[in-house]
Amino acid sequence: MSQLPQTANPPQGGRYSVGLVAPKEAMDYNCADCGATNEIKSREPIRCRECGHRIMYKKRTKRMVQFEAR
Amino acid sequence: MPNAERTRRKPTFNTLAREDQFKNPPKDGSTYHILNEFVAPHIESFNALFDDSGLPSGDGDGRGLISLGLEDIGERVVFDGDGKVDNRGWGNRMRIWIESANIARPMVPEKDKHSTTRKVFPSEARERLTSYRGRMTIKLCWTDPQGQRQEMHKDCGLVPIMVRSVRCNIRGMSSAELVKKHEEPEEFGGYFVINGNERLIRYLILPRRNHVISLIRPTFANRGPSYTQYAVQIRCVRPDQTAVTNTLHYLSNGSAMFRFSLRKQEYVIPIMLILKALFGASDKEIFEGVMMQDLENTFLTDRVELLLRSFKMFTLSTGEQCLEYLGDKFRVDWTNHAVGAWLIQKLVLVHVNSPRDKYRMLLFMLRKLYSLVSGSCCQDNPDSPQHQEVLLPGSLYGMIIKERLEETLNQIRNNISLDVRNGATVDFNDKKYFQKILSKINFDIGAKLANFLATGNLVSPTGLDLQQAAGFTIVAEKLNWQRYISHFRCIHRGAFFAELKTTTVRKLLPEAWGFLCPVHTPDGSPCGLLNHLSRTCRIVTSPLSVAHIPAVLAAHGMSQTSATHSIDGRKNLCVQLDGRVIGWARPAIAAQLATNLRIWKTEGVNEIPLDLEIGLVSESKGGQYPGLFLFSSRARMMRPVKYLANGRDDQVGPFEQVYMDIACTPEEIELGVSTHVEHNPTNFLSILANLTPFSDFNQSPRNIYQCQMGKQTMGTPATALQHRTDNKLYRLQTGQSPVVRPALHNTYAMDAFPNGTNAIVAVISYTGYDMEDAMILNKSAHERGFAYGTVYKSQIIDLKDMSGASKTATPTLHFGLGRDIQRHGEKAHHCVDFIDADGLPFVGAKLTSGDPIAAYVDDTTGRTRFAKYKGDEMGLVDQVRLLGADAGDSELQKLHVTLRITRSPVIGDKFSSRHGQKGVCSQKWPAIDMPFTESGMQPDVIINPHAFPSRMTIGMLVESMAGKAGAMHGLAQDATPFKFTEEDTAIEYFGDQLLAAGYNYYGNEPMYSGITGQEFAADIYIGVVYYQRLRHMVLDKFQVRTTGPVDPVTRQPVKGRKRAGGIRFGEMERDALIAHGTSFLLQDRLMNCSDYSTAWVCRSCGSLISLGYEDITLGEVVMGASNSLMPSGPGGEYCRVCRAAAQVQDERERQALANGKAAPPPPQADLKVAISSQHVLGRASKGGDLDVVAVPYVFRYLCAELASMGIAVSLSVT
Repeated sequence: MSQLPQTANPPQGGRYSVGLVAPKEAMDYNCADCGATNEIKSREPIRCRECGHRIMYKKRTKRMVQFEAR
Repeated sequence: MPNAERTRRKPTFNTLAREDQFKNPPKDGSTYHILNEFVAPHIESFNALFDDSGLPSGDGDGRGLISLGLEDIGERVVFDGDGKVDNRGWGNRMRIWIESANIARPMVPEKDKHSTTRKVFPSEARERLTSYRGRMTIKLCWTDPQGQRQEMHKDCGLVPIMVRSVRCNIRGMSSAELVKKHEEPEEFGGYFVINGNERLIRYLILPRRNHVISLIRPTFANRGPSYTQYAVQIRCVRPDQTAVTNTLHYLSNGSAMFRFSLRKQEYVIPIMLILKALFGASDKEIFEGVMMQDLENTFLTDRVELLLRSFKMFTLSTGEQCLEYLGDKFRVDWTNHAVGAWLIQKLVLVHVNSPRDKYRMLLFMLRKLYSLVSGSCCQDNPDSPQHQEVLLPGSLYGMIIKERLEETLNQIRNNISLDVRNGATVDFNDKKYFQKILSKINFDIGAKLANFLATGNLVSPTGLDLQQAAGFTIVAEKLNWQRYISHFRCIHRGAFFAELKTTTVRKLLPEAWGFLCPVHTPDGSPCGLLNHLSRTCRIVTSPLSVAHIPAVLAAHGMSQTSATHSIDGRKNLCVQLDGRVIGWARPAIAAQLATNLRIWKTEGVNEIPLDLEIGLVSESKGGQYPGLFLFSSRARMMRPVKYLANGRDDQVGPFEQVYMDIACTPEEIELGVSTHVEHNPTNFLSILANLTPFSDFNQSPRNIYQCQMGKQTMGTPATALQHRTDNKLYRLQTGQSPVVRPALHNTYAMDAFPNGTNAIVAVISYTGYDMEDAMILNKSAHERGFAYGTVYKSQIIDLKDMSGASKTATPTLHFGLGRDIQRHGEKAHHCVDFIDADGLPFVGAKLTSGDPIAAYVDDTTGRTRFAKYKGDEMGLVDQVRLLGADAGDSELQKLHVTLRITRSPVIGDKFSSRHGQKGVCSQKWPAIDMPFTESGMQPDVIINPHAFPSRMTIGMLVESMAGKAGAMHGLAQDATPFKFTEEDTAIEYFGDQLLAAGYNYYGNEPMYSGITGQEFAADIYIGVVYYQRLRHMVLDKFQVRTTGPVDPVTRQPVKGRKRAGGIRFGEMERDALIAHGTSFLLQDRLMNCSDYSTAWVCRSCGSLISLGYEDITLGEVVMGASNSLMPSGPGGEYCRVCRAAAQVQDERERQALANGKAAPPPPQADLKVAISSQHVLGRASKGGDLDVVAVPYVFRYLCAELASMGIAVSLSVT
């Protein structure tokens, strides 16, 4: 389900500089205006890449919701 | 039914048409046009602010209120000299003025380079919890010493914009486009979006503008010596809609005083001073102007003579002298003469410009005042809609903008003159200097307006001639559609009247017919003050062109004002147009003029506008002061009726309606009497009152209750629910279109927002659980989803407000799970059930109180912290919104979580029919035990027959019949009131339908007990009634407590449901227990379950507060000063007072022994309280004289408090 990148850093190491070494895990969100899926990492600005809109909705599930039926 | 007939039948519910309309909203207009009409006063009054308002220009040049306001503000002048002749005089002159003000549409800030569309739409403002605002700029101009004009554009911040107004980005959009912009297809605007909330400026009732009303108020006599209770008053309105109220007081010596207020300060001036100052009228002119040839009237001659004589003491004979005298008293900067002229222009009868017009109007006021004093005319009722108009949202907004602009201009001037006075370097040639001055001044008008809208508080140095300073705005709650649309039609009398002890202002007056709804007003404290406009009542918002009317009237027999001196005041009526005397006419001619005007305006002849109000007040003995009063101004209420003379549409205002004969129905028309007829007999009702089916069958208070309950119903608040961020939304999952509905139900889009469910209702006393307005719900109906509801709540998590947030630009808190949270494996942190890797809750997560709803990492500590779910009930995460910044350039700091709380109906939830018949669900009765009819049908709801006799809601009985017949025949029944008559009764009509469907004529049926299967002795009235589920639910209200938090001071249980407190067991409840003799219960409630405590009390002195302890664990004993053994209890306790007293006594006795005198007696306590032996718990035996007693903790507290005041309390323990 989730693709956690296993960081080798010891947990104590970056206590005061989390910003530099934090696991930048990208999540998918839906733009509230155009509906485009946006991959936004932690600490990236909230802005749609397609239309520049400033609101995102969290997706309901990360699982596939549509199967290709051929 | 034959097949041919089946195909011929037209559907009456229009379900498919509606579905299609909902799926494919119209691309060329709105679905329901009427919705745009009824908010028109809101939107058009806002549009009127701008030059490009799209409104007709009337007599003006089409400029908006802001431009007109800027013209009225004029310019400010400063000099850089100090005004002393020896020191280069006044010096250089600088004029400063604001040339124009401009408000732009809401746009994305310039910083943002990514957005594909620059426009900002209201839905974004709502979702991002910001305000919907556009930038305001002004062009500020000034002259340098050479007289050259300089200009500069100044930014005035972001001004909130009314949705769907001319500055809104969704103005004029079709339903299809609105849906694309995440709005309702029926969106009609009229409100502002402030911090994500929809707020609107409520209509307010104001005195009618430009019309003189006579008042008799005993309080006027308290204004000063020789003041009397008589006065006339006029509220004058400038073209920019700002107002000044002028009052003319009658003094007991016969003269009159003119009163006005300037910057919240009241001033009075002798009327003669103003009459003279206007254009230097001679005494003779004034005498003749007031007398108007009525020389036999000694009452009038005496007073005018006194007026003229008393003015002689001022020794001011010319107009110039008067102006200078006035200017001297109101000195600001200019010459006396200029100040005087300014004063008259700005504060005296501001609705007319020329001094002659003001003069004539003042004379009219004087005549009306004398007429009032002499008793030949009566006082006017300021509470009557006849003398009222409406404060429009846009006008108020414009007034605030104008005042703010004027204030900034004044500030600039004051800052410069302050520099001049302080001797700072002032260089009018230097643009830098001017800029330096401007940098000190706050130009942010937008923030001021946003604050006004957010709080409703008016911060104003002048008060804007309004009676209140707060409560102008309200939230347009989207609780359900009915409540929402009611907000836009509600009209308030003013906060001032809410505090008034008298109830006269709340009275329902016949003058309000057709303008204010008699049914739709809340009961309780705002009753009669908060009204709603009748359905067809309009408010005039566009200026009318009436400049040609005086000429037209003169051509038809009106004597013009130029001939005033030759007009006999006894035989002529004054003709006024918007508070300007335009001529005189004999009563017969005036009546003819009024009739002519009405015919012309309805037929469009002579370009008389339809919205002209023609108030002909004919002569009467001691009635209203006569005259022909024409009104063409904005903000008046008007309503359409049919003019019988030519069958055309006419618009009627509340002033003229009083003197008209309007028939309610065509049958009521009386030949030779009625002039008009109503278009529809239900037009006097508001929208909501119109929606009550068969409301003419009900007792009237029940219709009032329904108007209240309709607005508290759990219905469908919006169809764009996914885009709403309201704090709380109630939604009925199983809404239905009512079978029985008035015709207006369809007109007002009620089917797009269903508000209830059709229920099979049996009127029967069945289980005993339907007593006292309780109702029994069929359990199977409940299981099928009857009245199932959902509550949507919002929780906002803003990292900016969390502790540890940095106040600077770069945030230190970030959403996400830190490294200190184990996310996988057996030792995973419990939060991973709710929170995703990004720190946000999973959509669909089930939260209970205290569960984490979001996680964030603190950079400074590196730890992860959690925001908690605050609600008490289980909630499901419905939606998670990530809110960016204005320019889309900052990371996630604000989160909006919508939580869905399921609310299936439970025992204790409130329901109501549409006839003010509310009830509480008392049982969910199993279907097998419910009674059934011969066809095997069971009711969904059982109500008690006792609900009807005293309440007389026959409409509900008729609805039940009509619903039953409608359901059987597939008809949507028309329930418009006033459709049936004594000859053609509703019972007959629906009885026949029932008979055709195979039911009993009267709607009652034999029924069988669900338990025994036996037929009931009586037939049961059963039918279909539309039931509303009200938002008052037990889950939000229940309050229980066994133990819980206590007050730290008194140790009694706290109050309040939120704090898990108890319900007060008050003195009346205590009385009841005493009366019942249930003393054990009394003890339990007031002592054991409250602040039970035990305390040591001294048996000898009775003190509660003098406990002392000695450490005697090791068998030590304490020796006193005189080496005697100090007594103490078995625990080492002793009474400090008694021990001290014993020592003192000991000392005294020793001294007495030494002196040979008797010892004085020890001091006594002030207060004695007896404690019975029952309450003495343990008697300390050996030596110590302290007992343990049970007392309420507050009593101990009281003793301590009393002791602090030097009062000792003594308990006598027996």
